[in-house]
Amino acid sequence: MSSTPIKHSLETEKLTKSFGGVRAVDEATVSFQEGRINALIGPNGSGKTTFFNCVTGMIRPDSGTVTYRGRDVTGHAPHRIARAGLGRSFQLCRIFPRMTVLDNVLAGVRSAGVVHRLRGAHNPDDIARARELLARVGIEHLERSEARDISYGQQKLLELAGVLMAEPDTIMLDEPAGGVNPALIGRIATLVRELNAEGRTFIIVEHNMELVMSLSHHVVVFDRGRPIASGAPADMQNDPRVLEAYLGV
Amino acid sequence: MLSASRHRQSRTSSARSVLVIKLVVAAVVLALVLAFPALAPDPFVLSVGVVIASYAALAVAWNFVGGLTGYISLGHAAYSGLGGYGTALLVTEAGVNPWLSMVVAAVLVGVAAVPIGIASLRVRGASFVIVSIALVLILLLVAQSWAGVTGGSNGLRVPRPFGTDVLRPEQHERFFYLFVGLTLVALALWWVIDRSRLGTGLKAIREDEDKAQALGVPTFTYKLVVFVVSAFFTAMAGGMYALWFGSLDPIFQFSILTGSYLVLMSLLGGVRSLLGPVVGAVIVGYAVEFFKNQYGDTQLHLVALGLLLALVVLFMPDGVIPWLTSQLDRFRPSSTSIREVDAAQLAEERKALEEAKS
Repeated sequence: MSSTPIKHSLETEKLTKSFGGVRAVDEATVSFQEGRINALIGPNGSGKTTFFNCVTGMIRPDSGTVTYRGRDVTGHAPHRIARAGLGRSFQLCRIFPRMTVLDNVLAGVRSAGVVHRLRGAHNPDDIARARELLARVGIEHLERSEARDISYGQQKLLELAGVLMAEPDTIMLDEPAGGVNPALIGRIATLVRELNAEGRTFIIVEHNMELVMSLSHHVVVFDRGRPIASGAPADMQNDPRVLEAYLGV
Repeated sequence: MLSASRHRQSRTSSARSVLVIKLVVAAVVLALVLAFPALAPDPFVLSVGVVIASYAALAVAWNFVGGLTGYISLGHAAYSGLGGYGTALLVTEAGVNPWLSMVVAAVLVGVAAVPIGIASLRVRGASFVIVSIALVLILLLVAQSWAGVTGGSNGLRVPRPFGTDVLRPEQHERFFYLFVGLTLVALALWWVIDRSRLGTGLKAIREDEDKAQALGVPTFTYKLVVFVVSAFFTAMAGGMYALWFGSLDPIFQFSILTGSYLVLMSLLGGVRSLLGPVVGAVIVGYAVEFFKNQYGDTQLHLVALGLLLALVVLFMPDGVIPWLTSQLDRFRPSSTSIREVDAAQLAEERKALEEAKS
């Protein structure tokens, strides 16, 4: 932990990624505020998920830089970025289907060194932490089920518990409310608020505007691979550039 | 909370009884295996036992990569062949003690597996399968062409490690125990890895490699570690086979068929279970010898094995052991883990507890 307060959790400078002739992310210079709930919104195909993938190392950007808490992590392997403290979920919820719910969470344990890695995965310390997280997201009663057998909403909660097991400082959620019933959306929103109150930074890609407006402190709007506006949610709602991008007016 | 802790308690006690049953079964099976040479009616049956034991060692070695990471290698004969030739050359050319040769050759193969793994583990799925086949085909051509070292198509003779006073049946018996020992060591290491944090990371790779990376699992290093371990044990089994069989022919040493047998054995037994490859090796090893006996030199034994593979994929996609476990589970009370406990059940449980106390 640095003694000086860090203002920006994640910053990108002229980040670019093309697929053939399509510039999915086009010289995007963005910064997300530390300790807050940031939202990344934009029409379909505006490059949000590609941006996510470039930042978390799943895709190597063509050019530009990614800085996480003052450290250049451009082009680093995904596991190194994850270990630097940047956790993420996936757009279409991804869990380990043939592993139990408990093992799904245990897969997120941070390991270092040979001895540590050869320690039994089912040791009391890790299990206690995993159960705590499962209880926190409300699916502790499912710990012995195979992850493929639980409902989609429960899988979303499980994915979040797995991400939390890796002790991230910043959590990037790709459409946490996608395909989820309204009651569960409320539960996810509450969890995000609680986790944020404990000091975790969030960067959320989301199409549910009601959720974005009620949840986030800071909104970045993407269009055609680059940010076109950023600011407080209320300001973004009435910004003509944003309306144009979304509605074409 | 009471019910949760009681459930956990009852789970622990049932887990303990399952463990006891498993240990008893393991002890009985191990006793039968160790008694096999004494029970075998003639040296031929004993030699079939040695072949099956060697397949078991190879299949367990294969399962370090195949079972734990889900990377299917059809080219594992590359490592058994290299282990065999390495052992043979160290014995014949350098005059090294045969057993030391076997270990040194396996270590060298393990070292060679590092760059091979770095190159081949970059690709996934079908591409990895093809790369693994390519390696074994290259080695086959090299072994056939480089006659000055490998003996080419004439093969390479390997002197017997035991003195001339040890007769053939006794030699079979000793090698049977050696292969069983090697299999047990490999099984013990597989078990340790399977239960470890490393094992959870590896299984996460098997399920979804990108997701595992996103959680911070150093996927490439993990894959490489088990790849090298797998190559080492495969080479040990290959070296041991060379010492037992006494001659090496490139066609058989670097054969895709060997790799295919290992895949079939592991799939048949169940790649996710510790003993799956062993069970598969017994079934496939016996079937290979049986079909060869029945159909002689024709290729019909391959057709029969192909049918066997098709049946497994159709009816037991997870293998024999998971299939048997699920059949046995039908007779057990249903799992309590995902059952919601309602007020009536809770009251009943409390009543039973009270009664038990009084």
